[in-house]
Amino acid sequence: MVERSPILTTICHLLLIGGIVLVCMPLYFAFIAGSLTMEQVQQVPMPWLPGGHFIENLATAWSKVDFGQLLVNSFIVAIGITVGKVAISLLSAFAITYFRFRFRILAFWLIFMSLMLPVEVRIVPTYEAVANAALPIQWLIDLLNLQGLWEWISGDRIEISLEWNMLNTYQGLILPLIASASATFLFRQFFLTVPDELLEAARLDGASAMRFFWTILLPLSRSNIIALSIILFLYGWNQYLWPLLFTTDKDMATAVIGVKHLIPRSDTEPAWNVAMSGALLAMLPPVVVVLVMQRWFVRGLVDSSK
Amino acid sequence: MVATTLEPGLKHAHFRTAGLPAMLLLPQLLILLLFFFIPSIRALMQAFLLADPFGATVHFVWFDNFTALFASESYRNSIWVTIWFTLAQNVVTIVVALVLAFATDRVVRFQSAYKGVILLPYAIAPVIAGVIWAFLFNPAVGPIAFCIKSFGIAWDPNLNGWDAMLLVVLAASWKHICYDYIFLVAGLLAVPKSLMEAAAVDGAGPVKRFFQIALPLLGPTLFFLTTMNFVYGFFETFAIIDAVTRGGPAGATNILVYKVYQDGFINLDLGSSAAQSVLLMTFALLLTLLQFKYVERKVNYSI
Amino acid sequence: MKMTSTMPRAAAGALALIMSGAAAWAAPVEVQWWHAMNGVNGERVDELVKKFNESNDQYKVVAINKGNYDEVINGTIAAYRAKRPPHIVQIYERGFMTMLLSDAIVQVQDLMDKTGHKIEWADFIKPVAGFYSYKGKLAAMPFNSSSPILFYNKDQFQKAGFDKPAETWGEFEKQLYAIKKSGAAECGTALATDYHWSLIENYSAINDQSYATKANGYDGLDTEFVYNKTLVVPQVARLKKWLDDGVLQIAGQGFSPEQLFTSGKCATYFASTAAHSGIERNAKIAWSATFLPWEEGRQPKNSTIGGAALWVIKGHKPEEEQAIAAFFDYLAKPETQLWWHKASGYVPLTNKAYEMAKAEGYYKESPTREIAVQQLNRGTPTENSLGFHFGNFTQAMFAQREEVEALFAGKKDAQQAMDDAVKRGNEILRQYERLNKGKY
Repeated sequence: MVERSPILTTICHLLLIGGIVLVCMPLYFAFIAGSLTMEQVQQVPMPWLPGGHFIENLATAWSKVDFGQLLVNSFIVAIGITVGKVAISLLSAFAITYFRFRFRILAFWLIFMSLMLPVEVRIVPTYEAVANAALPIQWLIDLLNLQGLWEWISGDRIEISLEWNMLNTYQGLILPLIASASATFLFRQFFLTVPDELLEAARLDGASAMRFFWTILLPLSRSNIIALSIILFLYGWNQYLWPLLFTTDKDMATAVIGVKHLIPRSDTEPAWNVAMSGALLAMLPPVVVVLVMQRWFVRGLVDSSK
Repeated sequence: MVATTLEPGLKHAHFRTAGLPAMLLLPQLLILLLFFFIPSIRALMQAFLLADPFGATVHFVWFDNFTALFASESYRNSIWVTIWFTLAQNVVTIVVALVLAFATDRVVRFQSAYKGVILLPYAIAPVIAGVIWAFLFNPAVGPIAFCIKSFGIAWDPNLNGWDAMLLVVLAASWKHICYDYIFLVAGLLAVPKSLMEAAAVDGAGPVKRFFQIALPLLGPTLFFLTTMNFVYGFFETFAIIDAVTRGGPAGATNILVYKVYQDGFINLDLGSSAAQSVLLMTFALLLTLLQFKYVERKVNYSI
Repeated sequence: MKMTSTMPRAAAGALALIMSGAAAWAAPVEVQWWHAMNGVNGERVDELVKKFNESNDQYKVVAINKGNYDEVINGTIAAYRAKRPPHIVQIYERGFMTMLLSDAIVQVQDLMDKTGHKIEWADFIKPVAGFYSYKGKLAAMPFNSSSPILFYNKDQFQKAGFDKPAETWGEFEKQLYAIKKSGAAECGTALATDYHWSLIENYSAINDQSYATKANGYDGLDTEFVYNKTLVVPQVARLKKWLDDGVLQIAGQGFSPEQLFTSGKCATYFASTAAHSGIERNAKIAWSATFLPWEEGRQPKNSTIGGAALWVIKGHKPEEEQAIAAFFDYLAKPETQLWWHKASGYVPLTNKAYEMAKAEGYYKESPTREIAVQQLNRGTPTENSLGFHFGNFTQAMFAQREEVEALFAGKKDAQQAMDDAVKRGNEILRQYERLNKGKY
C-alpha cells in the first residue's frame, strides 16, 4: 500500500462487511426457514432466529425425494461433464493450434459457432437427439434409400432401424451439455502462449505429436485444467432445465431438480421449511468447492472467459 | 519446419500431419453435430412452420411467424423489458463490484475471507437463488418485504411491474456481482505500483488515484465485463426469472429468452418460439463476434 | 427380417440398465404413466399404483412424476416426437383440444371397447364426463377432477358478526369489507394462483354467461371469445376494487396463497377442493367451506371442473393396451374412486362412488368434501356451464391473465383489459383453427 489511511481502511472494511451481509442475507434466511416447523414458517413475519428443526426437515427432504441417489447423480453428471469437456476440448484445441491441415479453418469456425447459443433455444430437437442418437444415421439410410437398394440387389426385404436411446442415462444428461466450445477456446488461447521452442526442442529429441502432447503440453496445462474443472463442475451441478426435461426416471434426476420438486405449489402443502433445507443441502457441495478451492476457482473464472 | 506464411491462430512451430488432427477433432465435432448442429438447424426450420406440437399437422408459412412477432405488442414489450433489465443489471453489478474490488484492494487483513464469501453466489444454482429471493421479498410473508413495508414504502412485485423488475435485477445481480468482482480485483492488482506511487507523491488521495489512474487502466476489463454482463442478462437469467416472477406481472419482467421458453413450452406455440430463437441466435452471434474480436486483440498484445 | 442394432451403452449407463433390467425379469407387462402430482397427492398416486400392481400379477404401472402440468405435456410432446412416448400421460383440462386433435392418442372409450372392458360411462358425473367428451364419447380418462369452492375462517366471520359467507356476490362483498373494517382479519380473501379458473371461468359458468360462441367451443373450431360483453367485466372490476381497498391480497411467485389463509391473515380463499389435504394438515384456524357465490337473482348453474385427465398415447403393443385398460378399469371402480376421493380431496368421478361415500357417512365427518360434488351436480348443465373446448386454451388463458395483471397494475380499466384479452384470445383461436381446419 502506498500510504496509511486508517479511516479509509475502516470504511473499506465496512464496505466489505456490507457486501458480505448482502451475500449472506438470503442464505441466512434460507437457513432460518429451513430450521422452522411448517407452522412457524407460515408466520408473518417469519422468526428472525433459527429454530431447532433443521435436521428434522432435512430428514424429511432426504426421504421425500431420495436425496442420497440424487446427490450421487449430481456428482456423476457434474464430474462427467467436467472430464468429458476437458478431454475433448484439449484434443480439439491441440488439433487446431498445432496442426496445419486443409480444413483447419473450417473446423475452427464450426466449433466457434457453438460458443454462445443458449440451450433453451433448441431443447425440443435436442431431446429427440438424446432419445435416439442414431436418428441422423437413420435419416441417411432413408435418404439414400439404402433399403430399396438392398432389395433391388438381393431381392430380400430388410428393415433397418437403428436405435441408441440415451434417455435416463448419464450420458444423456452429460453429452448435450458438453456440446459447446468454451473450453476449447480456453485451451486454444493457452496453447497460443506456449513458447514455440518447446515443440522445436521436443522435435530435436524425436518426439511424435502425441508424445509432445502427453509429456509437455498436458503437464503445462495442469493448472488451467484444474481451474477450468472447477467452473465446469459448478456448471454441471447447477443445471436446471436440461435435467428437468430429460430425466423421466426419478432415480436419474439431480439434486437441483430434487429441490425443485420440494418447492410448494399452489395446491400442495406449503412445506417451505423442507424445501429450504433441501435447497441448502443441494447447494452445499458447490459452495464447499468454491470455499476450499478459492484460488483455483478464481483462476478458472478468469481463464474461462478470456 | 517453421511455416513461412502463417494462418491466424496457428502456432509457428506446428505439425503437418493430416490424419491425426482429424482423429483429435472427431469427438468434439461429433458431439457438436449430434447435440448442437442438428438440433439448431431443426429449430431454425421450425421458425418457418405453423405446426401442431405433436407434429401431426405442419404448414409452411414463410415469414408469418416473424411478421406476427413484430406486429405483437407483447414482443415489443419484451424487447424493451430486456433492454431495461440488462442495462440495470449491468450498472448495479459493475458499480457494486467496483466498490467491493476497490475496498478489497485496500485492505490487508481478512482479505481472503472477504473474497471467499463474496464469491459464494457463483456456486449457487440460479433457480435456488431465485426461489430464495422470491421468498424474501414476498409482500405477504417475506422478512425483507416486511422491513420495507415497515418503513412505509409500498412494495408489491406481484402488482407493480417496476417492483418486479427491481427484484429480478437485484436477484440477477446478486448472483453475478462476484464474477465482475474477481476480474476487477485482478485488474486492480495489475495496476503498476509505480504509477500509484508517483500520483501519491503528487498528493493525490486514494480515491482520486482510483478514479484518475486505476479506472482508466481498467477500461478494457470494464468493456469486457459489460459484454459478459449482457450475455449473462440475455441468456443465463432464465432460471431466475422463472423462479422469481415468471415474466409477470403483465409481462413486466418477460425478457426475450424467457418468452422463448414461455411461448414454446407453456403455450406450445413452437413456430413463434422458434422464430424468436432465430432472432436471439443472430443477436448472440453478434455478441460473440464482438467479444471474440476483442479477445483476439488482447491475445495479440500479450504475445 | 428385422435388423436392430443397439449400440452399446457406456459404463455410465449401466446403473439405469440394471434397474430397468430387474423389472424386465419379472413377468408383468409394464406401462409407464407420467403424472404431475407432487407433495401429498404425489404420495397418493404412488399408493394408488402400488395397490393396482398388488391387485394383479399380469400388469404393472410405473408412475413417474415429470414435474408440473406444463412439464408433463412438454415431456410427452418431446418423447412422442422422438418416438419414445410413455403409455399414459396426465394432461391438464386445458390441454383437451391439443391432445384430442394431436393424432397421437387413442380415445379412451375406444380403447376400453377394443379391449373388452365395460365401463358404465353414464354414471360419470356430468360436468366431468362432459368436459372430456368428444361427440358423445370420452376421449380421455378423467382422473383428478376438482372444482373451486370457497374456504373461510369461521372465527373471523363470527367476530365480524356473520355465520358464514353469503350466497351472493353483493352480500359476500359487504361481509369482506366488514371483516376488514372490524379488524377481524387483515384481508378479506387471498387470490389463488389459478384465479382465472375459479373467479373468471367458473364465475361465467355458474352465472350462465356465454364465455365464447359455438357453445364455448363444443360446436366448432370457429368459436370466438365473447366474455368482454358479459358479467365477467364487472367481476374483474370488482377484484380490482378489492385489491385497491386491501380486501384482496396476492401471494405471488415463490409463495403459496394458501398460507395467507391458513395463517389467519385472510378470511377466505377461493380454491380447488383439492386444497383440502393441505389446509387440513396445516391450518391452525377454525375453517370451513361453502359454495362459490353467484349473482343476485340468478339461478346458479353447475361449476366446471379443473384438474387433469389421463390420455393414452397411440402406437403401443396390444398387451400394453390391455394393461392400460386394466388400470383404467381399476380406476373406475367405485371403491378406487372412493379411496381416491378421500385420500386426495379430488371429487369422485362416478355417482356410485359418491353414493358410497354418502352411505358411509363420510360427509358427516367431513362435510366440506361434499361441496364440490354438489356444486358440480347442481341442475342441468347448459352450454355455458358444461365446459370449455378451446384450442391453445393455455395460451389464451395466459393472455387473459396478462391483461388482468395489467388491470391490477392500473394500466388499463376492466373493459379495456377484457377487450384486449378477447382480441388476443381470438387471434390464438384463429391460429388453432387455421392449423386444424376440418379435423374437429
